[in-house]
Amino acid sequence: MVERLSPLEPDFHPGSHGNFEHGVDVILTETRPGSIVQLAAWPGEEKKLIAAIRAVTGLALPDGAGGGISSGGKSVFGFAPGKFTVADDAEGLAEAFAKAVGPAIGTVTDLSHGRTVIRIAGPKAEWVLAKFFAIDFALPAFPVGSGRSTAHHDVFAQIHRSGTDQFDIHVFRSFARSFWKALCHASEEVGYEVQ
Amino acid sequence: MLITCPYCGPRDVIEFTYQGDGNRERPEPASQNFEAWNAYVYDRLNPAGDHNEIWQHSGGCRSHLRVVRNTLTHEISSVAFARGDHGPRRKMEGKS
Amino acid sequence: MSPRRIETGNRIDRLKTIRFTFDGAAYTGHAGDTLASALLANGVTLFGRSFKYHRPRGLLSAGVEEPNALVTVLRGDVREPNIAATMVEIHDGLVAISQNRFPSLSWDINAVNQLGGKILSAGFYYKTFMGPVIGPFKGTRFWMFCEHFIRRAAGLGRAGSAADPARYERMNAFCDVLVVGSGPAGLMAAKAAADQGARVILAELDPRFGGSANWSDETIDGLPSADWARRAVKQLEGHDNVRLLPRTTVWGYYDNNTLAALERVSDHKENPGKGEPLHRYWAIRAGSVVLATGAFERPLVFPGNDRPGVMLAHAAERYANEFGVLPGDKVALFTNNDSAYRSALALKKAGAQIVAIADVRPELSGDVRKLAEETEAEILTGHAVIATEGGRALTGLKLQRFDMANGGLTGDARSIHADCLLMSGGWSPTIHLASQAGARAEWSPARQAFLPPQPTQKWIGAGAFTGSFSTAEAIAEGRAAGLAAAGGSSTPTALPSVEAAPGDPDPAPVFEIRAKGKSFVDFQHDVTAEDVRLAHREGFVSVEHLKRYTTLGMATDQGKSSNVPGLSIMAEALGKPIPEVGTTRFRPPFAPVSIGSLAAERFGDLKPERLTPMHDWHVDNGATMYSAGLWYRPMIYGLSGETIEQAYVREARATRETAGIVDVSTLGKIAIQGPDAAEFLDRVYTNMFSTLAVGKARYGLMLREDGFAFDDGTTWRLGEQDFLMTTTTANAGKVMQHLEYFLDVIWPELKVHVTSVTDQWAGAAIGGPKARQILAASVTGTAVDNVTLPFMGIVRGEISGVPVMICRLSFSGEMAFEVYCGAGYGTHVWETLVAAGKPFGLVTYGLEALGTMRIEKGHVTGAEIDGRTTARDLHLDWMLSKKKPFIGSAMMDREGLVSSDRLELVGLMALDNRPLNGGAHIVEELDEANPHGSIGHITACCYSPALGKHIALALVKGGKARHGTRAHVSDPLRNRFGPVEIVSNHFYDPDGSRMHG
Ligand SMILES: [Zn+2]
Repeated sequence: MVERLSPLEPDFHPGSHGNFEHGVDVILTETRPGSIVQLAAWPGEEKKLIAAIRAVTGLALPDGAGGGISSGGKSVFGFAPGKFTVADDAEGLAEAFAKAVGPAIGTVTDLSHGRTVIRIAGPKAEWVLAKFFAIDFALPAFPVGSGRSTAHHDVFAQIHRSGTDQFDIHVFRSFARSFWKALCHASEEVGYEVQ
Repeated sequence: MLITCPYCGPRDVIEFTYQGDGNRERPEPASQNFEAWNAYVYDRLNPAGDHNEIWQHSGGCRSHLRVVRNTLTHEISSVAFARGDHGPRRKMEGKS
Repeated sequence: MSPRRIETGNRIDRLKTIRFTFDGAAYTGHAGDTLASALLANGVTLFGRSFKYHRPRGLLSAGVEEPNALVTVLRGDVREPNIAATMVEIHDGLVAISQNRFPSLSWDINAVNQLGGKILSAGFYYKTFMGPVIGPFKGTRFWMFCEHFIRRAAGLGRAGSAADPARYERMNAFCDVLVVGSGPAGLMAAKAAADQGARVILAELDPRFGGSANWSDETIDGLPSADWARRAVKQLEGHDNVRLLPRTTVWGYYDNNTLAALERVSDHKENPGKGEPLHRYWAIRAGSVVLATGAFERPLVFPGNDRPGVMLAHAAERYANEFGVLPGDKVALFTNNDSAYRSALALKKAGAQIVAIADVRPELSGDVRKLAEETEAEILTGHAVIATEGGRALTGLKLQRFDMANGGLTGDARSIHADCLLMSGGWSPTIHLASQAGARAEWSPARQAFLPPQPTQKWIGAGAFTGSFSTAEAIAEGRAAGLAAAGGSSTPTALPSVEAAPGDPDPAPVFEIRAKGKSFVDFQHDVTAEDVRLAHREGFVSVEHLKRYTTLGMATDQGKSSNVPGLSIMAEALGKPIPEVGTTRFRPPFAPVSIGSLAAERFGDLKPERLTPMHDWHVDNGATMYSAGLWYRPMIYGLSGETIEQAYVREARATRETAGIVDVSTLGKIAIQGPDAAEFLDRVYTNMFSTLAVGKARYGLMLREDGFAFDDGTTWRLGEQDFLMTTTTANAGKVMQHLEYFLDVIWPELKVHVTSVTDQWAGAAIGGPKARQILAASVTGTAVDNVTLPFMGIVRGEISGVPVMICRLSFSGEMAFEVYCGAGYGTHVWETLVAAGKPFGLVTYGLEALGTMRIEKGHVTGAEIDGRTTARDLHLDWMLSKKKPFIGSAMMDREGLVSSDRLELVGLMALDNRPLNGGAHIVEELDEANPHGSIGHITACCYSPALGKHIALALVKGGKARHGTRAHVSDPLRNRFGPVEIVSNHFYDPDGSRMHG
């Protein structure tokens, strides 16, 4: 199979950057999942969709708006009423869900190429993200596993907290390089490493 | 100004798009009642006080919301999904 | 040691010497100094020239309220004007200059304005320059003559024009409790809230936390107050739920407890860290706010109160105690209240001689008299200062007996030598943020001050902000406020004890001494007491009008010191009590805010660019990129030496002769999925989609609710319940919102989901006589012949291992195919097609050639679907289904939308063989000198290689009826007038034989 090209390519420079002499406080990387799928349930069918997600990925979604979980290279989180984003390191998620989610439950939309996932991790991850997004990144307000839909000016973002100090930001592919550059720029102050 | 999206919680108004007067009623698609169409397309209430408005959380979950907002104070007394109750709601903390 | 440096001063570090320049002269100071304190220590008394009269001015204050000592800070070529010297922390290499003087600060040519004081009185500008010309030196024309000279002489600092390389940033913050101000009240509040486990932000506009504790000479908990403050800050630093923000001015209080603050992150550093912003704009959403913003001391209004050397009493105390600078050797005090006695005593302790204390009150309390006696000054109760003497520095003052009851001055004037005069008109709580938050301030006759209003948002006040001017009260109120803000209840532990000088917080209600000479109310705008009275005589009775007429309180200091004295003079003139005159509502910002901080990361940095999957290929292969909205698209792939026109003509011609390929990834693409998807599309589009077979595409047109055309594009039926809609590049977002609105608000019963998949697909359109052969050479897994892939058919296959979807449709008018694949494979597929096309003469083409070919075909785009045209205007009425209602169908047949004189789409051909211009008007008469009677305008134009002519699309009255007639283009701005023929918009291959092949 042909390799997919990352939209970040010319501006993806592995190594330490910015004010890193005293150590890097964030690590930036692109997670490049093999598949990203958007699932949307018809009103009243959310439970069946959540069951289908469990059947396909083994992930049990917690209750509540924006709830999510990740494990073993797979992740899922709610980003809108009845709507979920599922990502998997492996390809083929759309095909699997097409079988598991019938038209009576909802719809499956393959976004494997349409979204780019940028990961920011480290003690200053919240600090850097707070420069962009007007949402509360503190743990009690944004627990591990959960997701948020927000925007930085014209750039839509679904943010998945994949660890205490780790966030996966799903952005539209066409905006990804621009957002990446902005993220690097904003991280200079704390020192960052691109991996 | 903050709008508390029933799904996403309180968010800054810049994440939202105003989508018009929430009092308008669209005639039946095949209706030939031109007066009613004209009222729907062009007439807007402009109250000094509580107003029914439609806002889209365009920079968030993209839901359309029915918002009751006081046009004098910006105080928002109610927010609901425009398409009716749908999906899990975030439990609001009483603080802000 | 500098001439005025003394041994005290807890803020400066004497071991660190700092070198800086002011007006070109080199000075030294110490770490911790402000520009004001360092210059004062060097014996500088003259800091600037006043706004209108160019009077010499020195330091009035030691803080953010400073109206006089405004400077411009230079960073390379970048000028930052109007910065209070009291707020500039010196660092090595700091370069500051004074303002509003010509040619130099000490010898200022415009100081003659003082002699013409009458001319420049209140309303001078209104009276002299507004309205009709009456007499030779009046009116708007006269203004146009004088403007240059006045603008040079008046005004504050000069803005620079050099680009600012500094970084500015925005920070979004959330907390349970925001404490504004870090004096004893703020420190106690922060501590109390933090102990409750609340998330706390403590913002302090100075570099050091502690507020008045830093200079008050009081004792708290048995420690000197400054040490107590250090200890309290240490404790707060140990809490991980506390964020301490020094150098941060909270300047705006907005709805929903959202506050705006400016952090001066690296102004004070010679070399900011890599990536460190100069300023950071904090948008803080706080559960509750504790306002512990303290109070401003007020000047007294008397002749010569603006002379360098006349200073607020507490400011002198700050200079001595915090900075170790003695503002004078022979110091006098003039006051209407008790608080200033402490200041006089502090200066005495610091080494000054207190020569006299003049108090407007006839008697002093026993406690205060004792304080006064400790200063060893001559105590002159029932006295007032009626004049000051000196030039660039104070040399003396004149006193007279004063009767507080009637303001009368009696007896002989007496002169006293002094080089520094402290004045105190009492204190005004800093209620700006509370006022911004909503309610009206309340006048306290006892305090002679406006006290904070009842909260309309979630804030609690503490300390001097509430009118409680003693440190003991500040400590008690601060802790209570912090607890309440964090939702806690009171604790039984004892409050820290305070030892402080005694004093009554209530001043005498005296602000002005009416004697001969200019008495300044607003120092920064040069507004005198007489100006206020003049405004009253001329009929201005409302405080808001008074403010605008005299410009009182409208300078960058926003009347922090002048507000109450100004009102009191106004009230007296009106014969009304102050509360009836009212105060103006304070508005953001509390203090000046850098524009850069508001632009923040948008400052030069992030207008996001949207790039297609093949972007880098285009750039690497010679494309000139063109920004279309946020997208970047190839305009031309120019060969060396080619002009833009030569390049697009070559590209378009080659496409029509052999084949061309263009990146169409920017087209909006929306997945429309669900059981009701077809029904939904029937409602949204003017034509039918439920009848479309799976594996087929159809061109669709959308109208707005008001019946005007909205957008067009093809929609592909990929499955029974699965459609892929394409929109124009420009309207993708709008169409998406339109669809979402109808599904959410109007037809929630429809089971349809819409998702933006624009970024999922890379798209390449390949067209021309050889397109099919090129495709056939590249694609596996499907045939692309006329039977397998008819016009508007869709097939799936692979191109060098990548799954693709191919739809046969045409924008160029040639036999053409749109090839879609996953965006990550876009470049791979594109390169394969380009390589396969090489033997056939395939060219890559950009937007210009694309536009040219669509004009030749007469297809419409956003230039024609401009929000004012209908389907009929664009000859798309064949798409208006009569079998079903659709969005816009009810309104599209309105009288005004079907009238015969509407602008309709036509084609134009230049008859003089010269280029046409977009936006040019079409006129009927040959009258180049006086073009008139526009019958329409050009929407798009090009040189058509297919026709060998300059052609255009236009919207013209009457439209089709004019085909075959002649008219003229008129474009006076670009000097273009010439004959055109009006023709059908379908210039090229009107029956479509080429694309149907
Ligand atoms: Zn939302």
